[in-house]
Amino acid sequence: MVMSQNLLTEVESKELLKKAGIPVVEAKLARSKKEAIAISREMGFPVVLKISSTDVVHKSDSGGVKLGLANAAQVGKSYSQIISSVKQAYPEARIDGVSVQTMAPPGVEVIVGMSKDAQFGPVLMFGLGGILVEVLKDVSFRIVPVTERDAREMIKEIKGYPVLQGYRGQKPASIPALEQLIVKVSQFVEKNPQIKELDLNPIFAYPDKAVAVDARIILE
Amino acid sequence: MFEEKLKEFEPIFYPKSIAVVGASATSIKAGSLWVENLRSAGFPGLIYPVGSSGGRIGDLKILPSLRLIPGEVDYVIVAVPRQSALELLDDCAAKNVKAVHFFTAGFSETDTQQGRKLEEQMLDKARQGNMRIIGPNCIGVYCPEHRIPLLMGILGENGSVGFVSQSGGIATKLVTIGIARHINYSKGVSFGNGIDLDASDFLQYMAADPKTKVIGAYLEGTRDGTRLFKTMRKVAEVKPLVVWKGGRTEAGAQAALSHTGSLASSAAVWSAALKQAGAIEVHSLEELTDTLLIFQQFGHGQGIRAAIIGGLADGGGGNSVAAGDACIENGLQVPPLSFETKRKLSELLGEVGGILCNPIDVSQAQFRGLATLFQAIDLIVKDTIGDVVLIQEDTEILLPIYSQKGLEEINEFFIELAGRQNKPVIVVLPPGSVEANRLRIEQRLLEASIPVFGSMERAARAICRLNQYSCWQEAK
Repeated sequence: MVMSQNLLTEVESKELLKKAGIPVVEAKLARSKKEAIAISREMGFPVVLKISSTDVVHKSDSGGVKLGLANAAQVGKSYSQIISSVKQAYPEARIDGVSVQTMAPPGVEVIVGMSKDAQFGPVLMFGLGGILVEVLKDVSFRIVPVTERDAREMIKEIKGYPVLQGYRGQKPASIPALEQLIVKVSQFVEKNPQIKELDLNPIFAYPDKAVAVDARIILE
Repeated sequence: MFEEKLKEFEPIFYPKSIAVVGASATSIKAGSLWVENLRSAGFPGLIYPVGSSGGRIGDLKILPSLRLIPGEVDYVIVAVPRQSALELLDDCAAKNVKAVHFFTAGFSETDTQQGRKLEEQMLDKARQGNMRIIGPNCIGVYCPEHRIPLLMGILGENGSVGFVSQSGGIATKLVTIGIARHINYSKGVSFGNGIDLDASDFLQYMAADPKTKVIGAYLEGTRDGTRLFKTMRKVAEVKPLVVWKGGRTEAGAQAALSHTGSLASSAAVWSAALKQAGAIEVHSLEELTDTLLIFQQFGHGQGIRAAIIGGLADGGGGNSVAAGDACIENGLQVPPLSFETKRKLSELLGEVGGILCNPIDVSQAQFRGLATLFQAIDLIVKDTIGDVVLIQEDTEILLPIYSQKGLEEINEFFIELAGRQNKPVIVVLPPGSVEANRLRIEQRLLEASIPVFGSMERAARAICRLNQYSCWQEAK
């Protein structure tokens, strides 16, 4: 199991990514129900609440995630529900509070990850989100530093590439935006050798942009 | 690129003198074998056998210590137990030796603290003495131009293919298959544990070496993946680099650890690194040698549209179907012949079913004689729909119809044809029931620089890899 002090929270991870110019759905930490409502109002509804605790590995399985909250009353209620069900699932967990972020409109789900190879150092992985990456292992890899050409090839290399081009009326994903995102992640990882693992999962890809909806960084 | 390596590696690939430590006049030791092999290969420099036994190997006196060698020593081959390694390096430093090749094994590949520690100490001594180490646990350098054979005395012709192999066994296979298939090497090296000079160093040298036009590599792992990756990326910019990564499976990776002390990375990461660097990945000795053969011959790809000629005498139907499938499934295109070629062919051979397709079954020519067969092949080869010509030759069918003389005539025609074409002509010569005849033809074609493959699949894959490099270069 990962040492919890090396795992950054979603809020911390996204702050770092944002500073590096990687598009993320910004998340803010709420330490109370009142704060959660205030942040939600500031960001605009609908919002998503997620448990913020480095001790909680499976956020959704433990009832730590609530999507599409449309007003202050729903946010308040969800805040309490999240805290109590996570406490039940992880009695020992240290809980910072709840992260608040706007609910991103649906897009094509992709993932970008980084792990360190024993011989080649940081390696980026790209794949479609959900079942395709988990079951079919339909992913591509490239060694950091990843150039634009490398990024383009790694996107085109996956078998699920046609899904990104727009399938059955679904809007296509912007390949240049994904390329840019991958190259920026590569630069970010190169500049920060203390990062051991990184997971942008999922990233929502739209016809004009790509945004990381969830993010996780583990330090060495 | 990497020009500084040429001078640095001169004493390694073109030593003026070689000392062999571990030579004996009385027993058959690896050291003695090395001395014998260098002598019989006609190594042009000085050879100094060193060993405790005294006596002579031929006209060469065995000296009891390296320090007693009268002249300068460029390169030392070490075939004594590892316990003597450090002391020996002191002797080498005292003699201003440039490079030391350790045939000796029993270091980090044994996965022991002791083995690793000894390697560190050796490296320290080499750095202090300004010497380079090749190995340990390897068979070192091969350079036909400078008459340096492989361990068993194997020496092929001088050529333009370079190889870098972590394994001595694979190095030996590359050279012996090379001799059989006329793949001629400029130089090669097996570097084993690679504690000092490793794949990156030798790849840089081969990239700079004007005698080397294409580089093949067998790698199990690396101590510095970042350096290897950057090196491959640069090398592939100037020369085709074909890489076979051993230890892709868990069983293979375990074997690689105990073989050359290499750590495992996932096969997917290696494949990604190779692709990203512009190297051409192959997965077996067969694919590596097939690819080196075709690069040696053509240097670069001219396209993937194949004109396939089969049924030279008979039996072309099913084979043509299979040949078409094999080519397309392995990445080639098989476009139809032009209207003009079809018209001329049907005039020449008469109206027959299937003939106007590609693959082209020319078996109807058998009723009109060899001149007609040659004319038909000429028409097909001239058709600009094909970037490359693949000829399937089934010896056991040709022999009873045309006899040995006819068979020879047909192959001389192929040689003449290939000579006056500016597109690649490749012959597929599958093993069959008349192996002796087939082998003679294969040798004749290879001598005449026509690449020969055992199956259509292998030929198709090799052509694709030839073009893969050209495409990668163009897309830069």
